[in-house]
Amino acid sequence: MNSSAFWTVCLNRFEQELSQQQFQTWIKTLRTEDAAHDNGTQRVRVIAPNRFVLQWVRERYLRRIEELGQEYFDTPVSITLTLPEAGSAPQPAVVVNKPAVAPTAPTAPEVATPVESPIVALQQPLPEAAAYDKTRLNADFTFDTLVTGRANDLARAAAMQVSQNPGVSYNPLFVYGGVGLGKTHLIHALGNEVLRRNPRAIVRYVHAEDYYADVVRAYQQKSFDVFKRYYRSLDLLLIDDIQFFNNKNRTQEEFFHAFNALTEAKKQIVITCDTYPKDIQGLEDRLISRFDWGLTVQIEPPELEMRVAILNKKAESERIRLSEDVAFLIAKNLRSNVRELEGALKKVLAFARFHGRDISLELAKEALKDLLGAYNRQISLDTIQKTVADYYKIKVADMYSKKRTRAIARPRQVAMWLAKELTPESYPAIGDAFGGRDHTTVLHAYRTISELRLGDHGLNHDLHVLTQVLRG
Amino acid sequence: MQQLILDIRPDTPKRFGNFVAGANAEVLARLEAATRADAVETLYLYGPPGSGRSHLLEATRRESQRPTLHLAGATAGDFDPAPGTLLLVDDVEQLDETAQIALFRAFNAARRDRLALVLAGREAPLRLPLREDLRTRVGSALVFEIKPLSDAEKAHTLLTQAQARGMRLEADLVDYLLRHGRRDLPSLLAVLDALDAASLERKRPPTLPLLREVMQGALPL
Repeated sequence: MNSSAFWTVCLNRFEQELSQQQFQTWIKTLRTEDAAHDNGTQRVRVIAPNRFVLQWVRERYLRRIEELGQEYFDTPVSITLTLPEAGSAPQPAVVVNKPAVAPTAPTAPEVATPVESPIVALQQPLPEAAAYDKTRLNADFTFDTLVTGRANDLARAAAMQVSQNPGVSYNPLFVYGGVGLGKTHLIHALGNEVLRRNPRAIVRYVHAEDYYADVVRAYQQKSFDVFKRYYRSLDLLLIDDIQFFNNKNRTQEEFFHAFNALTEAKKQIVITCDTYPKDIQGLEDRLISRFDWGLTVQIEPPELEMRVAILNKKAESERIRLSEDVAFLIAKNLRSNVRELEGALKKVLAFARFHGRDISLELAKEALKDLLGAYNRQISLDTIQKTVADYYKIKVADMYSKKRTRAIARPRQVAMWLAKELTPESYPAIGDAFGGRDHTTVLHAYRTISELRLGDHGLNHDLHVLTQVLRG
Repeated sequence: MQQLILDIRPDTPKRFGNFVAGANAEVLARLEAATRADAVETLYLYGPPGSGRSHLLEATRRESQRPTLHLAGATAGDFDPAPGTLLLVDDVEQLDETAQIALFRAFNAARRDRLALVLAGREAPLRLPLREDLRTRVGSALVFEIKPLSDAEKAHTLLTQAQARGMRLEADLVDYLLRHGRRDLPSLLAVLDALDAASLERKRPPTLPLLREVMQGALPL
């Protein structure tokens, strides 16, 4: 069996499973070069055209390739992802079957000893890999993984436009919006897209805090020349959270000069901020006025449907199907930003995985309790008495009265049971709060209710509802 | 004459092994994962004082197999963890403006520098009094509320703690304690300490009558 036939199968499967765009961008550019059978393990080497694709495929599709390999060879498969060797000519994205014959590169022994060579190949710091690292971009953040809705479609369209004609269409592109809405994702996507179209472009993502740290370092090391030369050598500068420049005068000055130099040379600048330019605190006017030269777009908080779509997309990338009611539950509970929305999904998935359970509405509710703080909420005895009295439509005063009719005694016992379950108060303290009763009365009430609830569905339901109301 | 006691508490090192997990097994597993070199985890644990989060953070530091930076919110100041660090920050609600920025930077660098972040605080992320850009990052972590122990787990903890102090504690004493005292763990352990001290001072074994006296505050401590 050889890797070439396997790869053909693999491509066919991916073509069915992925969207056309995903398939074209990521899978079709891969090729296999060599396969060997070694101690019962099938080895396949997959070569990615560049570091960007390699990282992407490793994170997204490697597991699937392994699964397909296992299916095809009927034995565990070790897939090694590598970059083309330095010096070898870029090859077209076709399947190449070269059993034990060296590729064009001079390092022939690599193929002759397939057991070690892939590892060696991975460890070599390849120029392309280093170049991508230097951009500080996150390969996960692309236009593909960005969910679009009314809240961000203008911003997305503008970013797409800029990535197609950097330095020409809108310069600078100024993206603003509240915390955790996806500004960073959007500008990373822009950067990745520019690189995809032009792998030679010099792109740099920098958070305003890190830019400030660079200025400080240049100060200390008296290396402003190097600093200036570096930032002016960029084709695309993505600068995040510019509001962090407030009252940092030297940083603002340096940025002002870099800004002028870059725009003059028709190099693209993209800026994010948490507010509209005119509202930024502690920023020089001459800088703010320059932000108006290009295009200013806003990202708004996503509406419910978009939040659900975001959750589905995220789950899909984890190869999990989320039922509608679960997605809806999460989206309803976390409204204000995408970041925490994704945090909530992460929680639900981790919870399900840890407990080995399927993702159901019940499970999601349970998992989300941690996020919302259900267990440790300070609940006072007063609150319990009032809530229980309201629930059973009796007077709060009956909680501490001497009356012993069933209609009053039972709710009182329920309240005592809840006091024991939901507060750390001692039995004597609980007894005191219920009209100076003895702690043995509380203990008796607790036992009675604990026993009764086993056979009495109505009571059990009451206890559930009351617990939920009290925990909020 | 009063017997003076040598005030040496058995200071058992806080480890994962002596944390009574109860319903918190998932947290423990996650923390253990975070101690492994190069694991990129972001966890946030919260619960009221006495819920055990500081124990867990200290245990994480002790068990860590990677460079580890352990900070308290109130005194964190500016910090800059080296790549590969496991960063532990307790009481995040007490971080000042400088420390909040430092933590914010750590969040942004986590992926690139392969940091693991384990944070702890009193409140759920939704209610944390932090800068919004930092608060939402905490909210994007894997969040765990430390769940209170059940009565049986509390009894178990009391017995092991008594053993560590060299006390022989009868089961009926534990029952009495749970029935008459406040039932949060710090309160229970405080009574245990008081009983230990009283027992040594009076040269009396830790019996029910002595416990009763201690709890009624009849004994000067």
